[in-house]
Amino acid sequence: MDKRDPFRHNVLTAGHRACSGCGEAMAARMVTDLIGPEAIYISATGCLQVFTTHNQQSAWQAPWIHSVFANSAAVASGVEAALRAKGKDTPVVVQAGDGGTFDIGLQCLSGLIERGHDILFVCYDNEAYMNTGVQRSSSTPHAVRTSTSPPGRLSQGKQQLKKDVISIMAAHHMPYAATATIAYFPDLKAKVEKAMSIKGPRFLQVLSPCPLGWVHDSALSVTVSRLAVETGLFPLVELEYGELTGVMRLVEQKPVDEYLRPQGRFKHLFNSQDGAMELRHLQALADTRIRRYGLLDAHTQWDTAHAMQSERHGRGGYWRGSEHGR
Amino acid sequence: MGEAVTGGVVNMAAKLEIEPGSSNAYHTGDWRTQQPVYQNKWPPCSQVCPASEDIQAWLALASEQQWQAAWHKLAERNPFPATMGRICYHACESACNRKHLDSAVNIHALERYLGDRAIALGWSHKSSCDEARTQRIAIVGAGPAGLSCAFQLARHGYLVTVFDAQAEPGGTLHSAIPDYRLPKSVLAKEIDAILALGIELRLKHRIGKEISERDLLDQFDAVFLAIGTRQPRPHPYDDGTGKAGSSHRVTSGLEFLHRLNRDEPLIIPQQVAVVGGGNTAIDVARCVRRLGADVAVVCAQDPHGTHQQDLATEMPASLTEVIEAETEGVQLIYRAGVRRLVRSGAHLSGIEIAHVDRVHDRQGHFNPILFAGTEAFVAAELVIFAIGQEADWQGLEGLQQTTEAEGVWVGGDAVSKSKLAASAVGSGYQAAMSIMASLQGKSLVFDAHQKTKITFRKMQLHYYRKQLRREGEMNAQRLDGFKEVVNGLAEHDAVDEAGRCLSCGVCFECDNCWHFCPDAAIIKKEDGYAVDYDYCKGCGICAQECPCGHIDMENIETPAKASTS
Ligand SMILES: Cc1cc2nc3c(=O)[nH]c(=O)nc-3n(C[C@H](O)[C@H](O)[C@H](O)COP(=O)(O)OP(=O)(O)OC[C@H]3O[C@@H](n4cnc5c(N)ncnc54)[C@H](O)[C@@H]3O)c2cc1C
Ligand SMILES: Cc1ncc(C[n+]2csc(CCOP(=O)(O)OP(=O)(O)O)c2C)c(N)n1
Ligand code: SF4
Ligand code: SF4
Ligand code: SF4
Ligand code: SF4
Ligand SMILES: [Mg+2]
Repeated sequence: MDKRDPFRHNVLTAGHRACSGCGEAMAARMVTDLIGPEAIYISATGCLQVFTTHNQQSAWQAPWIHSVFANSAAVASGVEAALRAKGKDTPVVVQAGDGGTFDIGLQCLSGLIERGHDILFVCYDNEAYMNTGVQRSSSTPHAVRTSTSPPGRLSQGKQQLKKDVISIMAAHHMPYAATATIAYFPDLKAKVEKAMSIKGPRFLQVLSPCPLGWVHDSALSVTVSRLAVETGLFPLVELEYGELTGVMRLVEQKPVDEYLRPQGRFKHLFNSQDGAMELRHLQALADTRIRRYGLLDAHTQWDTAHAMQSERHGRGGYWRGSEHGR
Repeated sequence: MGEAVTGGVVNMAAKLEIEPGSSNAYHTGDWRTQQPVYQNKWPPCSQVCPASEDIQAWLALASEQQWQAAWHKLAERNPFPATMGRICYHACESACNRKHLDSAVNIHALERYLGDRAIALGWSHKSSCDEARTQRIAIVGAGPAGLSCAFQLARHGYLVTVFDAQAEPGGTLHSAIPDYRLPKSVLAKEIDAILALGIELRLKHRIGKEISERDLLDQFDAVFLAIGTRQPRPHPYDDGTGKAGSSHRVTSGLEFLHRLNRDEPLIIPQQVAVVGGGNTAIDVARCVRRLGADVAVVCAQDPHGTHQQDLATEMPASLTEVIEAETEGVQLIYRAGVRRLVRSGAHLSGIEIAHVDRVHDRQGHFNPILFAGTEAFVAAELVIFAIGQEADWQGLEGLQQTTEAEGVWVGGDAVSKSKLAASAVGSGYQAAMSIMASLQGKSLVFDAHQKTKITFRKMQLHYYRKQLRREGEMNAQRLDGFKEVVNGLAEHDAVDEAGRCLSCGVCFECDNCWHFCPDAAIIKKEDGYAVDYDYCKGCGICAQECPCGHIDMENIETPAKASTS
């Protein structure tokens, strides 16, 4: 057991093989430490599963199961049903990539929700099939370069739009579905804790920058995720039984350029006429999302400035009980 | 699989064929080409504070309401917080990084708050030495430079005697600064606290008069000369009496203030002109207003804010002082120089002024050119020249020539270019360090982290909340006598204001690096953080997201073994 840190379990411990600066590793480390080591974790195939279980070495300091790419939600449903039969209330948590959620895992996930299992499904959304070499997924945003959506004469990167998965989830009339990202730890913490306090199916989509696939400096993962929110491209919202119950208000809307420029996957947009049009298109998409969720004028206690604040002596750690220190 | 099945129940005790190990066995630290290092920096406020206070450190303590600890931390470099908080022109605030977020931290108001609290509660300074020493040091001048040096030496166990020609200690702070800016009782209490360290004070002792230079050298192991600049620079105009100098019609700013501060009777006519553009000129003018007369300040330079590039042609007085003076009805005449005193017989009726072209000559000396045909008359029955002052070395000619190697140090206004109280305090500190090093046969060492500077560009200002700056209230009845113009902060405002400090370059335990490391390579401890270089991949996120720029990424040949915040 890794007990290096007196303030945290490190459910996902060190020595994993994620790329330097991996946003998915960061997100999973935060989420699993917020939930704790008493849960049963099910991972779909994907980067997170591969880089945490290499060469007979596991980075998981909690019970952990690897499902195949498509069926993590089904495996979790079975685990949860078995626990229920045994009268146990051990939390069950699924972790999957966007491929394992938006695409190949979608029908199993839909079934899980529809059957009403008491499970938290966390999607680490890095907007492509990263583990197999950056192929486009239905989560990949419009105009992004991937290995299967190269820009050229016929298109400026991916032609289609990013699938609006949070609306699909909400349409299941599920108890809790929310979006979050690594840049705003207090927000992520509040959402994980809220999800863990609710019974039934819950869904969390965590935007997780990938320095390799997004082609940005490894130091910029947090910065890029923050800009995704501040530009309005990735709204942070909460939906309960289909109703919008929370949004993170933007104190200031940043132009999408600020988000796109540091990322090589958008580089082709900055040197052509067609690219310029796609830039306008991406800006229009951000504006639409801002309008749709009222990101600039919502009456909320949370806003992007508030959720960023650093405070002397920490923002509080991972323990919910007082017996674990501060 | 080697599991044993008995009656449909899996025997959990049986071993798996492939036993999983922990990824901790694999040291991803080998991957990195750069690594984070926790490194304290020296913030801009402290870089420019002439007393080199560790402002960030005492603000942090103040924000936690550890008032006494904060006061001790401040006093380490400046034993005059209540005084300095009132009269220092606070360069620290002009340099404060917080102005790039909203507005500078109100450092001077907090300095004053701590000093006032110490006075009210009678706190005493701590000695930082338990060794009894036998060496004796003489200090000439009980101004801020002399007393700061005495404070440091006494704290370190030396036997200190301070000589001053005057009847009261405090130097120029006591003799020239008006009460509405610095009540005498505040200065006296801070001096008492310094002297309480066991310093001997001999007033009315002028070196070269009551005691000779020779005696000083014979009786003491080291001498520090901090004699200030107490000799007004002579003005070149005669006032009708046939000789240049001082009379009831023409005087110097210093003389005027000295007499006022000694409560001597002064006859002030209805119209007064003050010549000069420095802080002394403004002080004199504001005092004259308080005595009920009209006053015009004739200054060779332009107003503040007119010469962004070339500050040398702006009025040198502090902007806040100028604004306060104007509010109090002081008239300012810019870019004007005196041609002559205008008399009708023995009666002085005013001065003739003219437009100033160039203020400084090629050598950079103050040497204004006045244009003919631009003359104007300013009515005044009293003209006060506040055009500078010099050190008075009379009786000290021998010591003036003696070097540090021979046991004589010099500091404060008498020799520094910057004529500020905080510079005098800093100069006294430096002299004390140098004297102690010399007496102990050691070489001078300064804090290493003071070399690493930090600018706001290295910081992530979006992590901080905007917060209104707290100010001390202005006194509404201020022209009624010599009451203090600015009031102190209330306790709750002091806490909030101290909390506005961004802690530039110094970890304030926000947890960002710890939360964001994707590799669990940052360990949070009871007292800070440590990088676990076995696992750090060198991504740079911790350094990028540290709000205060405490973390540096350095390129490496060989991976480091440990760094703690
Ligand atoms: C009107 C006025 C207003 C000012 N306002 C401010 C202000 O608001 N803020 C600021 O930062 N600075 C201000 N200053 C400047 C500040 O007062 C000086 O920088 C500071 O006092 C210098 O300290 P010092 O210890 O070097 O000398 P001083 O304070 O001048 O002390 C020197 C002492 O040495 C004594 N002495 C001299 N010769 C002998 C001798 N031979 N034997 C024994 N004793 C001797 C003198 O009696 C005197 O007490 C002001 C100055 C003036 C004139
Ligand atoms: C049925 C099936 N098809 C394809 C694969 C190959 N495969 C493994 S991981 C992966 C991509 C995973 O993408 P995503 O779910 O987004 O996770 P990421 O690696 O991006 O975190 C693919 C295509 C597989 N394991 N199983
Ligand atoms: S002495 Fe002056 S410059 Fe230094 S901290 Fe105090 S107000 Fe600021
Ligand atoms: S924010 Fe604090 S540490 Fe930074 S310059 Fe201002 S006072 Fe100094
Ligand atoms: S965030 Fe972690 S892995 Fe990255 S440089 Fe800092 S300590 Fe190393
Ligand atoms: S990120 Fe926060 S906790 Fe880490 S070094 Fe910087 S100030 Fe300290
Ligand atoms: Mg993916």
